[in-house]
Amino acid sequence: MSPEMDTIVNAFLGSAAFTSLLIILALLGTLNPYHRPAIPLTVVTMVIVISTYLALISWGGDMDILAIRSNLVNGALSILDLLYLAFSVLTALILRASLRSRPDDPLIALLEAESDSE
Amino acid sequence: MVVSLAAAQVWAGFCLFGIGFAMHRTGPAFKRHPAGAPVVLLGLAIMLLHSEPPSPESLLVQAATDAVPWIVSAAIGINLVLSGAPIYSNRKPLILLVGLAFILAAWYFMLGILPELTLTEILSWLASILGALLAIAVFAQSVRYTESKTPAEPESTPLSEKERKYVQSVLKRHLEASDEP
Repeated sequence: MSPEMDTIVNAFLGSAAFTSLLIILALLGTLNPYHRPAIPLTVVTMVIVISTYLALISWGGDMDILAIRSNLVNGALSILDLLYLAFSVLTALILRASLRSRPDDPLIALLEAESDSE
Repeated sequence: MVVSLAAAQVWAGFCLFGIGFAMHRTGPAFKRHPAGAPVVLLGLAIMLLHSEPPSPESLLVQAATDAVPWIVSAAIGINLVLSGAPIYSNRKPLILLVGLAFILAAWYFMLGILPELTLTEILSWLASILGALLAIAVFAQSVRYTESKTPAEPESTPLSEKERKYVQSVLKRHLEASDEP
């Protein structure tokens, strides 16, 4: 594979692994008695392992913790690059929000109507 | 292979950061989880405060450190603009202007470290988006499968008069509070 193609494939596999890690952390951070996290946790962990295995086809080397760490770092760097794009979109949304006038709040109106009727 | 202490420190810090952020997002907007922000700060401190991170984590720590100025400026700016813009309350021009100045500063810092835009870079962005979407789609399917295997609970009873009044008062208090003098 050419180095350019390598970069693109690594970005794909790395971001799949890194997003899976973020999902695992989100599941742990929001754990509550109504969660059934066993299957989703297993599946996203498998995504990390499989994407690392596929990345190893182009890198070469053994499937070990270092390979998983490298894949996750690749993913984190790829996602960090996406922040530039996200901030551009966010800036446009922020400018639009700061220029418009405040919309009427239908929920407040509904609450006031209910209070009046009592 | 044994993970070095420095590498474990980076990943432990990152995990705490992620868990803290997720904790912070739970609960209603006006009362976030009290442990969320401290866990985020602890994670950031553990991840970034050490002398020499190992490879490959050093790349990540370097990229994160480079991005700190524009991300912090952007976060402050966006928060100020959201407070000053007429979204949740009336327009506050001074806060709005300061917020926009921070966003401008974020752009200045960001353009300083922006990588050169090549076709490979753009395709990498696209590949990253697809990779992230794939992971989310797989996760969503696994949640869907889990939910399909979970027995349905009986329908909950309607709110009592007391509960209804309480919900109404909470909504009124938090939706109208910002307009009061």
